Amino acid sequence: MTLTKKEISILIEIVFSLLFVLIFMPFFYENQENNLVLINDLIGKITEIVIFAVIYFSISYTLLKLIFKTKITVDERDDMINSKSYKLGYLLYELCLFVFIGILLSNSTLQNNGEIIFLILSLLLFVSIIKSIYQFYLYRTF
Amino acid sequence: MLLRNNLKELRQKKAFTQEELGNNVGVSRQTIISIERYRYKPSLELAMKIAEKLNVKIEKIFYFN
Repeated sequence: MTLTKKEISILIEIVFSLLFVLIFMPFFYENQENNLVLINDLIGKITEIVIFAVIYFSISYTLLKLIFKTKITVDERDDMINSKSYKLGYLLYELCLFVFIGILLSNSTLQNNGEIIFLILSLLLFVSIIKSIYQFYLYRTF
Repeated sequence: MLLRNNLKELRQKKAFTQEELGNNVGVSRQTIISIERYRYKPSLELAMKIAEKLNVKIEKIFYFN
């Protein structure tokens, strides 16, 4: 299976989301019971996430540029694939937002900021991963 | 009715590679592959550019089956 530069860059995004789930989500999961002010070293964790993201994307895209030296041509097929995948992402995002508001309204125990942050991050990661997988699927099949 | 095309045959007749044709009409090689495999239906603008580059009428390339 030969992958194009665009397909690999989508895989880089998917891997980042999965790494985020594995590395950083346990922290937010463990701090669900706490309010923001009580979460130990939240600023430190956010700094860690930003540094991790910068290093990860810098290394990945530099390697990608070194491996594929040809310039990417963005054309109407890319626009079509992007519009389809972002449309799915937007619909999922809307759906998740309704679910999130529903949980907030129905669950009186959901009062801690930590729990809300964990829920928002989970929903965003879910939408991002599904959108990227669909985008990858479209690049392979169209 | 399905939109089909003779792009592969006509391109090979004019001795263009997929990459060359793509560069000439401003799209990627993958887009030319997708059109040849009937996966992607090009816009009218792209279809006309391809026809112009291959020096044939648009209906000689694209047809309904």
